[in-house]
Amino acid sequence: MISPGDTPCLKVENLDISIGDAVAVARGINLEIRRGETVALVGESGSGKTVTALSLIDLLPPPLKVTRGSVSICGQKITRAAPDALNRIRGNRVGMIFQQPSSMLDPSCRVGRQVGEALRLHRRASRGEAFERAVELLREVGIPEADRRARSFAHQLSGGMAQRVMIAAALSSDPDLLIADEPTTALDVTVQAQILGLLEKEKKQRTLSILLITHDLSIVSAMADRVVVMYAGGIVEEGPVATIMRAPQHPYTKALIDCSLMRTAGGGDLESIPGTIPPPTRSIPGCRFHPRCPHALARRQESACAREEPAATRTAAGHLVHCWAAEP
Amino acid sequence: MERFLLKRAIVLVVTLTLVSFLAFLVPWIGDTDPARAIIRSRVADLAMDSAAVEALRIKLGLDQPLLHQFFTWLGRVFQGDLGLSFTSRLPVADQILRAIGVSATLALSALFLALAIALPVGTLAAVHQGRRFDGIVTFIAQGFVSIPEYWLAPVLVLLFAVELGWLPSAGWSGFETLILPAAVLCLRPLAYFSQVMRASMIDVLHANYILAARSRGLGLAGALVRHGLRNGIQPVLTVFALWLAGLLGGSVVVEVIFAIPGMGRLIYSAVINNDMPMLQGSIICIVGLAIVINTTADVLYGVLNPTVTVSGDAR
Ligand SMILES: Nc1ncnc2c1ncn2[C@@H]1O[C@H](COP(=O)(O)OP(=O)(O)OP(=O)(O)O)[C@@H](O)[C@H]1O
Ligand code: SF4
Ligand SMILES: [Mg+2]
Repeated sequence: MISPGDTPCLKVENLDISIGDAVAVARGINLEIRRGETVALVGESGSGKTVTALSLIDLLPPPLKVTRGSVSICGQKITRAAPDALNRIRGNRVGMIFQQPSSMLDPSCRVGRQVGEALRLHRRASRGEAFERAVELLREVGIPEADRRARSFAHQLSGGMAQRVMIAAALSSDPDLLIADEPTTALDVTVQAQILGLLEKEKKQRTLSILLITHDLSIVSAMADRVVVMYAGGIVEEGPVATIMRAPQHPYTKALIDCSLMRTAGGGDLESIPGTIPPPTRSIPGCRFHPRCPHALARRQESACAREEPAATRTAAGHLVHCWAAEP
Repeated sequence: MERFLLKRAIVLVVTLTLVSFLAFLVPWIGDTDPARAIIRSRVADLAMDSAAVEALRIKLGLDQPLLHQFFTWLGRVFQGDLGLSFTSRLPVADQILRAIGVSATLALSALFLALAIALPVGTLAAVHQGRRFDGIVTFIAQGFVSIPEYWLAPVLVLLFAVELGWLPSAGWSGFETLILPAAVLCLRPLAYFSQVMRASMIDVLHANYILAARSRGLGLAGALVRHGLRNGIQPVLTVFALWLAGLLGGSVVVEVIFAIPGMGRLIYSAVINNDMPMLQGSIICIVGLAIVINTTADVLYGVLNPTVTVSGDAR
């Protein structure tokens, strides 16, 4: 299906993101997405998912910035690329959708114009062509009365409609990669399912790679081919979705899946992982997870957990696990 | 949109009626008897014949109930008849019309000049927030706010008219005489507009829709022009309308110093000469215009910002 020689759609190597020059919010991120692949990036709130996503298209808000490592999209280098080159990649090779769809639309600009904007920029479409194509795209993402809707404004749309509009805008110039940062978190459960269904449909129709960012593990099995788990700014485990969900290797991934199972089972006590994610300003020696880690090794005096950052181990199931307790 | 306009129109009519009633009451402020005042203005004689006063009172309808008088008077106002000036004996309406034209020319020149400078400067200051350009702009704006016109005007006259001889020192005879007073008048609004624009563009810069626009491939400048300005300019428009409404009443200081025959000078002399019809007419025209301008600004604001006018039907 995927020939090994293919340039990956997204390649992130050893990426560090910091606030100014001092506080690291993400460290040593390695990520690869092949053509047509969907990768889920999961982790608790504050683990650095959004920051990572924004760094992929070089739109980190200051004072956040990439301090080390590199990002390439379809073989083109993003890190330290010229502004013009970046503008040609954004919206063209990569589209992005976000968590708060309504606030992502310009309140005083008709929806259709925003959907057609990437076509105007990257396909040199005329105003009329772009608008016509926008109407088609809105129809494609399941918006009823698309020609009328194209003329409406953001405040006239529900959250689900606004997210459909954002998807239409992000896919308008047929990108290779879609970065979806918690695309359903702000929506009702039924609407969530519709939006995920739409993403599935679009993915099948085009050769689209998706980076699906979420803290909701229940949508991961249905959507993703691979899962990358993030904790406190670092990747702790990654692997194929089936084995990650069935046999997680990292104590944090295990805890995360247990939580999500308990939540879907509706069990009385929604016991989450004890403790909270440390703020980026707190420096923790050794494994960032060790103060919360339930694994026996972490409890043992003199164990490596509190002293040294765990190296990556490739396990038999094909997971890459950053944990001293992991067995190859 | 239609409902929005209708609402605005009703508010407009009600406030205009209230204002004209207040203007109508001007001669009753204090204990000046209007009939007495008129006779004094014509005869200039302190020993007044009380029979003559009484006759005039009846002739002018001043013996009628107040509300009745008001509506008779309002009827005439609607026909453009604001009475005769006590001092010049000429129709008040003509004089006000001429003076408002002059003040409006001056005000619009000053305000559009201020706007033309403030929009780009405020936007750039927002983009460079906290850096040197921003600091310089804020510093200059604070300076402009605190320079008094009665000081700046003579200084500019001394420099550009007396010393350099580039521009006329006073008068009202075309573009050249407009430059110095417009420059003096524009500094304060310029300072306010640029600071309001700066603040509102800082909000816009952090807005999610700018991030989304950039993720589609627009550069920062492109995203600001296509999606930023229209949202960022709205607060400035409100302040602009307030200034326009204020300046149409004329600036007494600038008009007196530059000998400009505008509303400021007209009101100034009406107050000094106790010219009641002139004061009444001026109040109606100035306040009425201010209300009309603010309503227009509201409507324009609604056009720029569809959340105000276009009702939602989410589904
Ligand atoms: N603009 C910013 N300036 C400074 N620090 C920031 C900024 N944005 C995020 N951070 C910090 O970076 C860290 C990662 O935040 P991020 O938003 O990426 O988390 P997340 O995984 O997306 O969480 P969520 O699920 O809540 O969206 C957090 O500790 C946050 O405080
Ligand atoms: S390295 Fe140690 S502390 Fe970290 S997750 Fe593994 S067992 Fe727990
Ligand atoms: Mg986030």
